[in-house]
Amino acid sequence: MAEKVRCISPVGIADVVKTFPLAPRLDKIDGKNICISICGEPDITIALEKKLKNDYTNVNWLLKKTYSLYPIGLTDEEMKTTDAVIQGVLW
Amino acid sequence: MPYLAKLEKAGIPTVLIDFEDQANMVQQTALRSGIPHIRYVHASRILPGPQDVDTWMDRIMDALVVPLTDKEKEIGTWVPTSDDRLIFEGTMDGAEKFFHQTEYVPHPVNAPIARYTDGLPVRVPTEERVAEMLKGTSHKPDEIVTYQSDRRGWNGPVKKGDPVLFHPMNWTATVEKVAACAVMAGCQPEHLPAVLAIAESTCYIASTHTFGQWLCVSGPYAKEVGMNSGCGMLGPGNIANSTIGRTYEIMARNLGGAIPGINRMTSLGSPFEGSRCCAENSDALPSGWKGINEEGGYRRDESVMLVHPHVNDGIRGVQFSPGGYRAFQKSGHGGIARKLGVKGKPGPHNWLEFLVPEFWIGREGAKTIIMNPEMARHLYEYGFKTKEAVYEWLYKQSFIPLKDYRNYSWVDLHTNGWLGIEPISGKHWKELPDDYMVPAAEDPFAFCIVVGGGDEEVSHQLSSHHHLGINPYYSIDAWR
Repeated sequence: MAEKVRCISPVGIADVVKTFPLAPRLDKIDGKNICISICGEPDITIALEKKLKNDYTNVNWLLKKTYSLYPIGLTDEEMKTTDAVIQGVLW
Repeated sequence: MPYLAKLEKAGIPTVLIDFEDQANMVQQTALRSGIPHIRYVHASRILPGPQDVDTWMDRIMDALVVPLTDKEKEIGTWVPTSDDRLIFEGTMDGAEKFFHQTEYVPHPVNAPIARYTDGLPVRVPTEERVAEMLKGTSHKPDEIVTYQSDRRGWNGPVKKGDPVLFHPMNWTATVEKVAACAVMAGCQPEHLPAVLAIAESTCYIASTHTFGQWLCVSGPYAKEVGMNSGCGMLGPGNIANSTIGRTYEIMARNLGGAIPGINRMTSLGSPFEGSRCCAENSDALPSGWKGINEEGGYRRDESVMLVHPHVNDGIRGVQFSPGGYRAFQKSGHGGIARKLGVKGKPGPHNWLEFLVPEFWIGREGAKTIIMNPEMARHLYEYGFKTKEAVYEWLYKQSFIPLKDYRNYSWVDLHTNGWLGIEPISGKHWKELPDDYMVPAAEDPFAFCIVVGGGDEEVSHQLSSHHHLGINPYYSIDAWR
């Protein structure tokens, strides 16, 4: 009979993750404070910013823009007043 | 993704724009951040921006206003599938088949990828083999791999004793799991301290743009375990060099969960992702030239693993023809002498002058320069009595006009779109004239010299070992 072997798992240990619901969505866009959070891809994000501001003139747009790989976060004060965030293209 | 998770948890709805081929990575990191159902719109890699935005603008707005589904409202717990110590019980034939399984990865791979290996055959990590491997360290099998000193980690400062989170899934590992990976790579027990030092680096795999990783041992350990620091040290043939280096990828796959096309998105990959481990020839260092260990703040009699986690502009080398370097140094003849204007003059000459003009043609950044002992000696005899003297000279050579510096690609990121202040002058980038001289190398001490190799006069150059401010030196002695 073939000899039996037992093998040690080389696989890393994943933590249990608590998952959360997404934030409730907006009832409407007009009149809201929405942040356009931009990282990289200016070909897309320049066009995105222009179209958002042209098509949704009743929104208070807040622009956070960086060329780096990581977004510029909302400040604590801005977290209190911002209604939504559009993040692109890196994150 | 942690930022988006923070916003969603604070009650601020978000929508992410990214490319379709990144979808698996988005989903994985969203799950790890506790928001598995993040809303996500695909942009195009091909369409011009205005046309692209037109195709998905409605989906952006829908993502912000369409009410949540039942799934998106769920609070829950994600439990990993299995964390058993043993992964297989059965015959050896069955174990071989088990560890050599593949899984099909769809676009952007469209091919089977090994589940537990680097694609090459491995040594099955039986209990007996792993127990034998563990004799190579005094650390306990069930000990979680932790940082052995305070340092800057990938996400900020970490302290001695903090668990190492293996990239990209931020999993942890026991010493025994590292030993299992070492068995798989073909290591011997005496190699385990080096492998644990590599593990301490998190086995970072970068994302879309990297040329791979590279490893170098400095200190007495290299000779103790029979590493090659001589002829062919970067190539195949030496068991210690090859198997220790190989563990990087085996650990990245298993301890970090790195899967090409899922969360390991280097578009082409590279031979450096093999990975290679060589050793510094400390006996060949000219007097006054520090070893890599000393440059890392260790003593000459201490052993360290230099982990270069992100070779970011390839490798170049072999610029000299056979005999060309010798003719240049011995009697000032040949192409190198013609270029440097020393025709007919015996050396020692500064051979780096021949290479420097090409260092910053394609890309900015300091360099790691690997050179054979004779070439190191020539630099010393020329007048560079310390490695620091070479680094400072190289840094000065790296200054180029701003009009040329602007033509690199990465500088748009590093300068934040030229919106900030140039660090040396203190002036705004946009105020500076085209002929203002900017260093293409970030810092004199981001250069690194590695002395090793055989007698033939060859140098290889690759990118700086400093990346994102991470300290690349890991103590091997701490893991004995």
